Amino acid sequence: MTAVAPLARPARVLRLEIRRSVVPWAIPLIAALFFFDSFRTAVGFAPVWTVRSSVITSNMITDFGPFAAGLAAWVASREGRRHTGDLLATTVRPAWARQAAALGGTLFWLLLTFLIGVAALYIDTARQATWGGPPVWPVVVGVVEVTTFAVIGFAVGALFPGRFAAPLAAIGTFVIAYVGFHAALGVTPMTGTYALLSPATAVPLGDVGVFYHVAPDVAIVQVMFMGGICVALAGLVVVAGRASRWLWVAGAVLLAAGVAASSTAFALAGTAKLSMSGWDIPALHDAASDQPVPYTPDCAGTSFKVCLHPAFSLYLRDVNAALQPVAAQIAGLPGAPVRAEQVASGSGVRSVQGLPVAGTPATGITGTPPVYNISSEDPIAPLWGTGAMLAISGWGAGFAQEFLTAYVAPPNTFMPNPAQQAVVTALMTAAGVGAPQFPQADNSNGTPVGPSQAQIGAAATRFQALSPAARRAWLATHVPALRAGHITLAQLP
Amino acid sequence: MTTAEVRRPPAAPAPSGRWLARGRAATRLVWLHLRSRRVPAGVLSIAACALVLRAALRWNWMFTSGSLAQQLPMIIEAGAVVAVVVTSHSPFGETERATGRWLPYLRLGAALALTGLAIGVLQLGVTGGSLNGGVLVLARNVVGLTGIGLLCAPVTGGLLAWTLPVGYVAFAEYALLESWVSPWVWPVRPADDRGAWICACVVYAVGLLAFTVRGARTRLTDNG
Repeated sequence: MTAVAPLARPARVLRLEIRRSVVPWAIPLIAALFFFDSFRTAVGFAPVWTVRSSVITSNMITDFGPFAAGLAAWVASREGRRHTGDLLATTVRPAWARQAAALGGTLFWLLLTFLIGVAALYIDTARQATWGGPPVWPVVVGVVEVTTFAVIGFAVGALFPGRFAAPLAAIGTFVIAYVGFHAALGVTPMTGTYALLSPATAVPLGDVGVFYHVAPDVAIVQVMFMGGICVALAGLVVVAGRASRWLWVAGAVLLAAGVAASSTAFALAGTAKLSMSGWDIPALHDAASDQPVPYTPDCAGTSFKVCLHPAFSLYLRDVNAALQPVAAQIAGLPGAPVRAEQVASGSGVRSVQGLPVAGTPATGITGTPPVYNISSEDPIAPLWGTGAMLAISGWGAGFAQEFLTAYVAPPNTFMPNPAQQAVVTALMTAAGVGAPQFPQADNSNGTPVGPSQAQIGAAATRFQALSPAARRAWLATHVPALRAGHITLAQLP
Repeated sequence: MTTAEVRRPPAAPAPSGRWLARGRAATRLVWLHLRSRRVPAGVLSIAACALVLRAALRWNWMFTSGSLAQQLPMIIEAGAVVAVVVTSHSPFGETERATGRWLPYLRLGAALALTGLAIGVLQLGVTGGSLNGGVLVLARNVVGLTGIGLLCAPVTGGLLAWTLPVGYVAFAEYALLESWVSPWVWPVRPADDRGAWICACVVYAVGLLAFTVRGARTRLTDNG
């Protein structure tokens, strides 16, 4: 018989649990889910670190969380299922030490698989990203979340050992994660911000973390909340077991500390405010993170320059190819932009959903000399998706349409008037970049109003038939009136 | 007492009494089979899932329209399904197989009855609410997921037969987001889609057959 040094015993028990863990049998299933759900979803996003890393706390948790809870419950209910509680009570190891080793063995495999998945995701992103580096906070939150799922399952299995513990823990945590996700989708400063405690939320805007740092405030609160749950449940398991008096007191202290941490995090989440860098929590916020991130834009073009943030260099060639022909059509005309450049889309979270954030730069044509400002969240031609998607979706025509609409119509016009539409159509056709897609105007009953698309098309054909010099001459004279909406379809030459 | 004292065999019971005794024995056999599988607790779990589904509808925990409206109901339906499939675990193993020829029929009957019960109880839970897709989608999800679980039971054992249905649900969540159309991912298809129904029923039939013939893999050390 080999003597085992006292300090080596816990490690030996842990090693035994790791060797005999049930989790490796589930890894192929989890890996398949990760590939289809998390990995494929991430590679469909723009190669921006913060955007791609958002799947770590959303999709990857859907893939890992239920299994973490179910398998941990299965492991924790082992002594109860096998009726070996009394037998093991005679061993020298206390129950909490056995349970800690069992949980450790389960977490070892779960977190190892999770981190391998994160590494695969980050390696793929590193091959495509043109700016920035891998964010750490999503990984920290993801690790704590998987651990929390496992601890919840473990507590269920330890407290209610039986055949239903594992599956119902898996499904229960699945439901909780989904309900949190659903609540987080609708979080606004007006409706309350407690749902920010859910790490799973909507895919962030394309330029989150690009122009401004992502403040770690929400991530800290999420870690505190989930960590509190873990500590409280660990205390509950100790208190509920047949523990000695001192152990019982220690368990009660853990329980109280966990509840306090989670309650504090809950209260902090309720104070969140929306800012340029995302959700800020005043008590945790570092004002230094509100400063813009310095960068040197990537530019293309000669007389008309197109400049994007280096994180979006992937799109520069396509944006330049889309804008140069239409920019040439209006070059030198009054108010025509001399440059196009990318600006921040507004906030780290939801400015596009009607949540205005102070300091958001205006998109469209602004300044002197005029500059065409674009953001990654353009409603027609966003800087989003992969290069292959840009090639097949008429994205370039959408970009050109947005550019010309910004020139002939007032700022933030989604639906130009018929004369403006005809001019945009004529200029795009003349530039050879395809036809714009304007919807037919209708009233509240859905009945079409104003000139039909055929009438607008006919006017556009008429305008396009003019010589380039005649078109420019007419535009040079009439652009202010056209932009103000004073030109009708019939007044177009 | 010696055999010499037995002068004649006891009188056979009247035919009606014989059928009554057989009926009692059959009822007792069915009840013992169900109890040994913790079916009463399974029924309670299904009822709890129905309550959660009701609460989700009542307090708007989910999307109310579109394909994403299927996500949460499907997870909760999977909760009822896993409660059904873990009742496939037998605490007796080989011993039970040697005792009679009724075991496959008992397995078949229990699985069919619990599947029907899960559909009925879940539908009862949403009565008066507007569940996206209605009872047809609910029934198709329960049938298909139960089939996956029953197919899994002979391989993993009844106690771990929940893993594949949960994995399928996680995959279907992704398929709903990505608007997949394969009938094998039946939650993404409309309620009256024939292909999705065929796939769900085929999976259920194969799972039921495998479970009826083979039973769940049993490890006597585990007796939940």
